[in-house]
Parts: sequence; structure tokens; C-alpha cells
Amino acid sequence: MIIGTVGARTVGGVNNMGRFARFSWQSMIASFRSCLNPDTYPLIWTQMNIIGVRSVPVVMITGAFVGMTLAVQAYDQLAGMGLEEHLGVLINISVVKELGPVLAAVMLAGRIGGALTAELGTMNVTEQIDAIRSMGTDPIRYLAAPRVLACLLLTPFLIIYADLMGIVGGYFVSVVQLDINSRAYWSFSASGVELWDVSIGVVKGLFFGVAIAVISCYKGFTCKEGAHGVGQACTEAFVASFISILALDFALAVIFKSIYNTFWPLKSLV
Amino acid sequence: MRHQNKTETNHGDGDGVITLKNVIKKFGSKVVLDNVSLTVEKGKTTVIIGPSGCGKTVLIKHLILLLRPTSGEVYFKGDRIDNLRERRLSEVRTLYGFLFQGGALFDSLSVFENIIFPLRQHHRINDWKQVEDLVKSKLAMVGLDGYQNYYPANLSGGQRKRVALARAIALNPEVILYDEPTTGLDPIRADIINELILKLQRELNVTSVVVTHDMTSAYKVADRIVMLHNGKIIADGDAEYIRNHPNPIVQHFIKGQVDDDDLAVLRMSGTISQAQFLPRDFEQ
Repeated sequence: MIIGTVGARTVGGVNNMGRFARFSWQSMIASFRSCLNPDTYPLIWTQMNIIGVRSVPVVMITGAFVGMTLAVQAYDQLAGMGLEEHLGVLINISVVKELGPVLAAVMLAGRIGGALTAELGTMNVTEQIDAIRSMGTDPIRYLAAPRVLACLLLTPFLIIYADLMGIVGGYFVSVVQLDINSRAYWSFSASGVELWDVSIGVVKGLFFGVAIAVISCYKGFTCKEGAHGVGQACTEAFVASFISILALDFALAVIFKSIYNTFWPLKSLV
Repeated sequence: MRHQNKTETNHGDGDGVITLKNVIKKFGSKVVLDNVSLTVEKGKTTVIIGPSGCGKTVLIKHLILLLRPTSGEVYFKGDRIDNLRERRLSEVRTLYGFLFQGGALFDSLSVFENIIFPLRQHHRINDWKQVEDLVKSKLAMVGLDGYQNYYPANLSGGQRKRVALARAIALNPEVILYDEPTTGLDPIRADIINELILKLQRELNVTSVVVTHDMTSAYKVADRIVMLHNGKIIADGDAEYIRNHPNPIVQHFIKGQVDDDDLAVLRMSGTISQAQFLPRDFEQ
């Protein structure tokens, strides 16, 4: 009995993974084709407005509070060692490399992921996705591809907004409230934060954006019937997106560190 | 079972537009369609009847391959289509129109945009005046000209189904599939839909397949009635043949009578007063 249940769940899990992998692949192919087809640009543009433009305020607020909180928390530690002027390095490198991208992506997973899953899930249970297929249109091309492309293209920009606001927030608390010398703050920040660090955060955004969009669209497309089904799909989409963001963040951190260590010795030659 | 014998030897040639051959559909271990063979004849209206949950919707979705069979074959105009890739299948589907049970109109699009949706997907629109005239003519066919700028949320259930029907015929399909077209409508609205089904068949000479459990509708529109029970076809013939079918399951269904076994279960399960708990019982 127990072995049977475990076996059935394993088979179910593997099937689900296979379906997700297939959906992801089809979404990527459809997204690539959409890039080459100007007829689909209005759809992408609409999604960019919904997904990107309307997310700017929440992402900026998230970034600002990340920077401000880091300043408050780290000041006492550094001041104890007389290193409070180095606060800028700590805040800015944390914001641009890790906290800005990750927390902005988590915020997007909640805002966009939930909305995408609920919208597509409702379309699924009211047979609108079947209607699209019945009219000879690929719903992945029509529904998923514009959303994936919008997330792919705009998440890095949203992360830049979060980074900027994180830097401003950190500066505001450090210089205005904690009275750290402004010139020293920026000087140490400039020496500690490289273009490489900023680039890592932005490149992470590409992966986070695709993960959020593909997971949310998949959960919407496979949503079970009824209000409970849509609600459950939204919850699963957020949880899966959140875990994927953290897992991708770890994997990308390892990869970028290896790349950095490999090419760092060459920098002096360049 | 008159048509079934014919189906087994017909692979979509002759008068058959769509042919299902030994189709089995399982969801997990549950068998929903059990070795179903059926030929839909050209220019005729085939009505599939059966109790709720017997597999009617699953069957009609197999005709357009919105669901693929677990085993068995599906033919369209003699060509096997169940093994086609989705991309190739999309081309075949443009020859179908499908009226979904709830209409399945896109909430975010107006009536006009809903109707031009299939046109925009398959044709490059250069002459918008021509498109406007086309939408006007399609809406006029279903009696809703003038509703172009309405949104689905502003329409009644019957109007939504009529707009969905206008969208289904936008590409001038050869086959129209109707999934429970009269469900949820009052008798007058239901009869409007029946008249539209007849009108479309008469004016466009399309092949129609209607899934319903509304026998008034079935008798009115059907050239042929197929009854599905527990995933199997148990009766197949014209309205007169079905009316006089000897199978008691068919007779109970078409007369809307509960059978003796179900009645016995209901009588065994206690009286209403025994089972009734009113809110005041909890308040005390």
C-alpha cells in the first residue's frame, strides 16, 4: 500500500516534470518565433505595459526599503570597528549583487506571477484556451510567448530600478540620518562595487524573469476547475517561482564566481 | 446500432467527414470513451445525447482533437489526424467551428474583436471596411447586429452563445461542433439557438455535431441521434428510431424518467424529514 502510493506519487511527479519541461521548451520556441514576427509585437507591447510599467512602483519601493534597512542594520557593526564610512560598499554591493535582484524578483513573482496564473487559469477553466486551440491558434504562442518575452525583457530593467532605489535609500539613511560623510561614502562605494557586480544582478534578472513567466503560465494552463483550482494554482505558482528564484540565485552565484575567478587574473593583462 | 456497422468499415471516405475508429480515452484508470466508433456524415446534423458525465463532451473534443485518444484513430475527410503534430493540426482546425458550453468568449475583447479573432490569426487584414461588413453579416446571422462594441460581461447567456456562434462561423467552417448549446437557457432562448443551428445548416450547408441532453433540442435539429452511455454508443439512428428504441436505458433517458434501481436507492436512503437539518436546529 505505502510502496504503491510512493510509486504513484513518484510517477506523477516525473510526469509533471516532463510536462513542465515540454511546456517550457515550447514557450521558448514560441517566444523566439514571436521575436521574428512583427504581427505579435502589439501583444508583447501590451504585456510589457501590464507586467513591466505597472510593476515599477512596487519594485522601487522594495529596493528603497532594502537599502534603508541594510544601512540601519549594518551601521552599528561597522561603527563598532570605526569603519562606518565603508557602509556604502556593504549596502551597495549587497543591493546590486543579491538583495536587489532577488527581492525585486520575489516581488514580481507575487505581483505578476499571481496575476498571470489567475488570468490564464480562469481562461483555462472557462474553456477560452480550448477556444483558441479550436480556432487553429497555438495558445502557447498567443498567450504564453508574449508574457515570457515581456518578463524576460523587463525584469532586468526592473532590477535596475530596484538597485537604484536601494542605493538611494541606503545613501539617505547613511548620510542624512546616520551622518556619514557623503564624499567618503561614495568614494568607498565606487572602489568596492565593480561593473561586474552590477552586471551579475542584471543578468540574474533575465533568468528570474523567464522562470516567473514560464512557471506562472504553466500553472495557469494546467489549472484545475473551479475557484479552488484557480486559487491553488496561484499559490503553487508563487511557491514554485519563489523556490526557483532562490535556486537559480544560488546556481548563478556559483557559476558567476567561477567565471570571475577564471578571468580575474586576465584583467590585469587587459 | 445501424450506423455503427457502417462506421467500422468507413475510414472517412464516402459521406463521412469525421470518423472515430475504436477510440478509447482514459483519464488515469477511468475509462471515459470505451471503444467508440462513429462516422459523422457530410451535411447532416448528428446529435449526441446521454446523461451527464457519460463522455459526450470528451467525445466532441475528440472530433477536433482538443483531446487525443488513448488508443484508436480519428479521420477527417479520409485523412488520419490523431497522429498529426499540433502545428499541422491547427490548419485542420480552421475548417471547424466550435461552440463551447459557456461560449468561451474572451472577456477582455469586445464582440467585434472576438469575432475577428480567428480572422486576424489566419489572415493579414488590409481592408478593415471588408472586415466590418463581414462581422456585421455574421452578427446579423445570429440576430445581434449592432452589438459590435459590447463586451461579453454586458451580454446575457443566450446572447453570449449567439456571439460565440458568430465567432465559430467567422472562417466559414465545414463542420460546426456544438457543446450543450441550449444548457442554461430558458426555453425561448434555447429555441432561438435551435433555429440558428437549423438556419446555419440550411444556409451554409455545414456538417453539424451537437452534444446535448435536451431532448426537445435533439428532436428538433437532428438528422441522426447517437446515444452514449458509460462511454459506449448504445443507440444510433434517426429521431423515430430512437423514440422506439427497445433499450430501457434509452427510453428512461429520452423520457426523462429515473430508472427503477435509482428509485430504489432513493427510497432506501430515508425520508426528507429525517435528513433535514434546518439552521434553527443548530441555533438551539
